[in-house]
Amino acid sequence: MGDYLSARGLRKKFDATVAVDSVDMTVGVGERVALVGPNGAGKTTTLLMLLGAIDPDEGSVEINGRSLAQNRVEAMERVGFAAGYLPLPRYLSVHETLSFFASLHGIDDIDAAVSGALAQWGIGRLAHQKTQTLSSGQATLVGLAKAILHSPELVVLDEPTASLDPEVAHRVRQGLLRLNEDHGTAILVTSHDMREVELLGERLVFLARGSVLHEGPPREVVAATGDADLEALFLRVAGIGQGAGDAPSDLTADAGPITGDSQQ
Amino acid sequence: MKWTRVKAVALRHWRAQARQPGYWYILIALPVLDAIMFASIGVAYGEDERPVAVLVTGIMLFHLVWQLTLNAALGFLEEIWSSNLLNLMTTPLREQEFLAGLTLISLARTGVGISLVGLTGAALYSVNPAAAGLVLIPGAMILLLFGWAVSLGVIALVLRYGESAEVFSWGFIFLLIPLSGVFYPTEALPGVLQPVSNIVPITQVFDAIRIGLDGGGVAWGRLAVALGGTVITAGLSVLLLRKMLQTFRVKGLVTNFS
Repeated sequence: MGDYLSARGLRKKFDATVAVDSVDMTVGVGERVALVGPNGAGKTTTLLMLLGAIDPDEGSVEINGRSLAQNRVEAMERVGFAAGYLPLPRYLSVHETLSFFASLHGIDDIDAAVSGALAQWGIGRLAHQKTQTLSSGQATLVGLAKAILHSPELVVLDEPTASLDPEVAHRVRQGLLRLNEDHGTAILVTSHDMREVELLGERLVFLARGSVLHEGPPREVVAATGDADLEALFLRVAGIGQGAGDAPSDLTADAGPITGDSQQ
Repeated sequence: MKWTRVKAVALRHWRAQARQPGYWYILIALPVLDAIMFASIGVAYGEDERPVAVLVTGIMLFHLVWQLTLNAALGFLEEIWSSNLLNLMTTPLREQEFLAGLTLISLARTGVGISLVGLTGAALYSVNPAAAGLVLIPGAMILLLFGWAVSLGVIALVLRYGESAEVFSWGFIFLLIPLSGVFYPTEALPGVLQPVSNIVPITQVFDAIRIGLDGGGVAWGRLAVALGGTVITAGLSVLLLRKMLQTFRVKGLVTNFS
């Protein structure tokens, strides 16, 4: 499986704070990767660098073999993005909003693409509703429709289920798995819901203080660290849990990246 | 640059603006009210028809600069108010395509605005909006270019300083009105301000327009100076915008608007 997205040596500093430091990351073709870490770990900064919205101080990103720094437009043609916290343009209907983004992606049959994307999330009935009248959950679903309407090869999702009730969140997770299985769409997702991470992520990249702390299949990472489960690992790294070894997050600064494959 | 993306941006803004009363007020009410106010001042204090023609022509042409600047800046601010910048930045949309789409919708609105000023002057005050003659064509082109340059500068400032720079979208006009001699020769300004006025490129355009209104033909020399100054202003605006875009990406300012 080749890499669809590949980042090498990403580093980002905001004033005196190093937000992301020497992060290497890949997402293979058709792979599902979960980016995890406590608040302030550098997840969103990393995602925004991977999407070209923030320039890294050091390092490079390639998407589908194209340098993001030099060919941003071509690199982003087959990438979709949605974030649970991101509103939609105001004063447009859902159909108009999605048509707008479909045009930006150069889609020919816009109506078909919009209908298909809405159907994927079961929200066809919202097509003519104005975006500012949507509930936060509905807006999140429309954001997800926006992310997939151009049949992307990679979908990047920042906390996609954060504002959804459990039933809709379940539907979204199933929809993402279906997207991956049926169309081979690679998924890079961040989430604070560890059950979601285990379900969606074939591979886990655990960030802490801007660096990759653990990487590998979720079960293997948990096994390697000796924690009871991913939740316990998360709490331990965040410094508020009593996981294996009672290691507070401070200790992680001296520890090199642990991969799921390395049975330490 | 892809035309479909330019058109999509223009359409998105047309739809959003058409549904907000404030944009209709700016589009229709302000030009008409400005025309009535300045023409009435001309009628009240002028001894013949010339002051009315000068004032109506002045405000009509000034709306070229103002409406273009205001509409482009408001269009960009709409993306900020909608927290839509991150959505846009994660698509294949180029900055030039976005700006071209905004310029397109701004030009259309500017056309409506100045037409309303001219029609109001003609219908209510019997002013011929084309009385200055041929000079209006190159003069209007230079003013449009200047308005576009100013709008790029305002967008650059909003990118860097966020909504706090919003004031420049409309506030810049109050700097330009007195200094560029829209309604009077710059000799009427206090001596200390006259050198400042002379470096505002569009001052020469409004001088040329008054010469045209007095039957003096096209003052090509003044227009050439105005064009040179406007091209320099546009170049500086483009450089400023590029610098601010770079700063925007380096400092990760998109997170302030998401």
